[in-house]
Amino acid sequence: MTWVALRLQRTETLITAAILALIAALLIPTGISMADAYSHDGLSACLALNPSAPCMNAIGDFQSRFQSLFNLTAWFTLIPGIVGVMLAAPFVVELESGTYRLAWTQSVTRRRWIATKLGVPIVTGLVLSGALILLFTWWRAPFVHLNGRMDATTFDSEGIVVIGYTLFAFGLALALGVVFRRAVIASTLAFIGYFVSRIFVDVWLSQRLVTPDHAAWKSNQPQPANLFHANLISQTGPGLVKGAVPGSAPFGANVHANVHVSGAVARAGQHLSNFTTHVVYQPPSHFWPLQLTETGLFAGIALVLIAFAAWWTHERVA
Amino acid sequence: MSTQAAFVADGLGKRYGAKWALRDCSLEIPRGSVAALVGPNGAGKTTLLHLAIGLSKPTTGDVQVLGRSPRDEAATVLPRVGFVAQDHPLYRALTVGETLRVGRKLNPSWTDDLAFQRLERLGIPLGQKVGTLSGGQQAQVALTLALAKQPELLLLDEPVASLDPLARREFLESVMEVVAERELTVVLSSHIVADLERVCDFLVILSQAQTQLVGPIEEVVSSHRLLTGPRTDPATVARIHRVIRESHTERQTTLLVQANGHVYDSCWELHEVDLEEIVLAYLGHRGERVAA
Amino acid sequence: MIEFHLDARSGVPTYLQLVQQVRQAIRLGILFPGDQLPTVKDVVGSLAINPNTVLKAYRELDLEGLVEGRRGIGTFVSGQAPPPPPDGLKELRSSLVRWVGRARAAGLDDENMAALYFDTVRPPTISKVA
Repeated sequence: MTWVALRLQRTETLITAAILALIAALLIPTGISMADAYSHDGLSACLALNPSAPCMNAIGDFQSRFQSLFNLTAWFTLIPGIVGVMLAAPFVVELESGTYRLAWTQSVTRRRWIATKLGVPIVTGLVLSGALILLFTWWRAPFVHLNGRMDATTFDSEGIVVIGYTLFAFGLALALGVVFRRAVIASTLAFIGYFVSRIFVDVWLSQRLVTPDHAAWKSNQPQPANLFHANLISQTGPGLVKGAVPGSAPFGANVHANVHVSGAVARAGQHLSNFTTHVVYQPPSHFWPLQLTETGLFAGIALVLIAFAAWWTHERVA
Repeated sequence: MSTQAAFVADGLGKRYGAKWALRDCSLEIPRGSVAALVGPNGAGKTTLLHLAIGLSKPTTGDVQVLGRSPRDEAATVLPRVGFVAQDHPLYRALTVGETLRVGRKLNPSWTDDLAFQRLERLGIPLGQKVGTLSGGQQAQVALTLALAKQPELLLLDEPVASLDPLARREFLESVMEVVAERELTVVLSSHIVADLERVCDFLVILSQAQTQLVGPIEEVVSSHRLLTGPRTDPATVARIHRVIRESHTERQTTLLVQANGHVYDSCWELHEVDLEEIVLAYLGHRGERVAA
Repeated sequence: MIEFHLDARSGVPTYLQLVQQVRQAIRLGILFPGDQLPTVKDVVGSLAINPNTVLKAYRELDLEGLVEGRRGIGTFVSGQAPPPPPDGLKELRSSLVRWVGRARAAGLDDENMAALYFDTVRPPTISKVA
């Protein structure tokens, strides 16, 4: 039965592998040169809130070389959606084309067929997600050293959220496909649903999944330590928050390491000693709570959708 | 476990929403029969076959194949029953050889030799993609899949409906050869009656979701008669025999009856009726002679 | 080896057509004693008929003494000489000639005579009271 499921998924497996190969072909060479540049320029010594002038130059160089590539990887958030939706297709096509009437009248029970036909794509999706996470985490290491991993682009492909989202896209395409029995329509709607969900998370939900921290300080006070590499959600007051990254920007927006402070503003700030800066932010310590909550939410939804699709197929299809 | 009948339905019914696709179906098909399931499209033939193979669940009543419930005892029933669904679904992207491999993986009682020999005799190449085969060849591949697990019962849903006459004939010859070789009960549905009389020995007529007539073909043909005579009210005949169809002209009355014993009334002339005419009468077809 | 054919429109039951073709073949010398008849599988494989029909035909031929079935091997034309014509054949023939003469005189043509013959000969399962 496993062979059958794999064989019928052959095209989708090959495309998945090709996507992975393509991304690897892009990331591996650039990742190696990024890591080289990072160590060659001695940037690890520059990881402080107030970098020295040579450090700032080095960081500036590094950014101008690699920032655009970094921004490009924001688009890779689409990959879990594409792969998840695609892996649901063989199952839906069986129902759409009527070949289930062949499959369920051999000697395998319907239950076993459903379990294998779902298990195989799920495992494929998990393998792909895992590979992508490893690849991205390795590739992005220099940036993470410089800016932390709380910015949207980094957060979305580190940790484990990719797994949750791949399952979510899979579950959505599956549930729609099983009810409507039209693979193309189901895939399209599911991908749109995935896309909208990601934007929703980026813009609204991620700030609220784990309660953000608040802080306030006068302009003559040092900013709280855990703002370093934090994700800044909102800010009132004129002070420039150093070492943090701007909050959830709309999907695909540029992210700049907020380490560089213009001299003029710094001088001006010294006179505004009465002004207080308030910030709402997610500190780096919230990385794993946020990852787990987001993954748990979407994997949970995925499991509900998959269970529904399995139940529907078992009971309602004739 | 050996039972007399290969296929038993008892008050079987299936409803989809508000509509009954099959109702009050009770029948028994003996082992070793080649049974024809005849009726127009939408009569319930596919529904009945899907209930028999466990693809659907009954709304009312009960169905047993080879003495077992197909839905509840699927693991025991499926290896012993071969099924070819309407339009013989196959995985079009797979080659013929890969399709057989699917059969091998999914059926513990699969016999490779049987499958390969069959296809070789039919001249169907193993390396060819199923989607590129002709309709007749695809039907034969689907049949091979159903036969290679050596079933005791074979269910065929409109197996020859979409085939050209030659392919249709070759398909039926194939099935008959297997029946000749070993004990196999066959139930095949069709909305074309012509093929069936020489191949089948048992008849089930379905129309409007209900069984109209069930029985061995020899008995059916010998118990139905066409009565012709001067124009009359059929009431006297109808008291003893079952009038299936009546038609009248100005001077003549024609009745198709299922006779209950002898027909004694001397004013009638008796004729034998062929199977096709009997089936058409049960399906509500009006006689060739139009009421004047 | 004999090859069977079927006339679906003849009104003659299938098994009987097979019986008649074997009888004819023996009479014409196409089949000799000891020749094997096609297996049931071969017949149905070329004619798409129910195997029981073939079995019925072969049983009938066996009863008539024209063939004998050898278990596990096949059905063979029997080595016996064809059965002698029934007694009184000559008398039947002459009375038939007389009847034909009477029928012609009554105005029946060949077709009418044949119709009358078949009507009488067809085995009734429901008795027809004329």
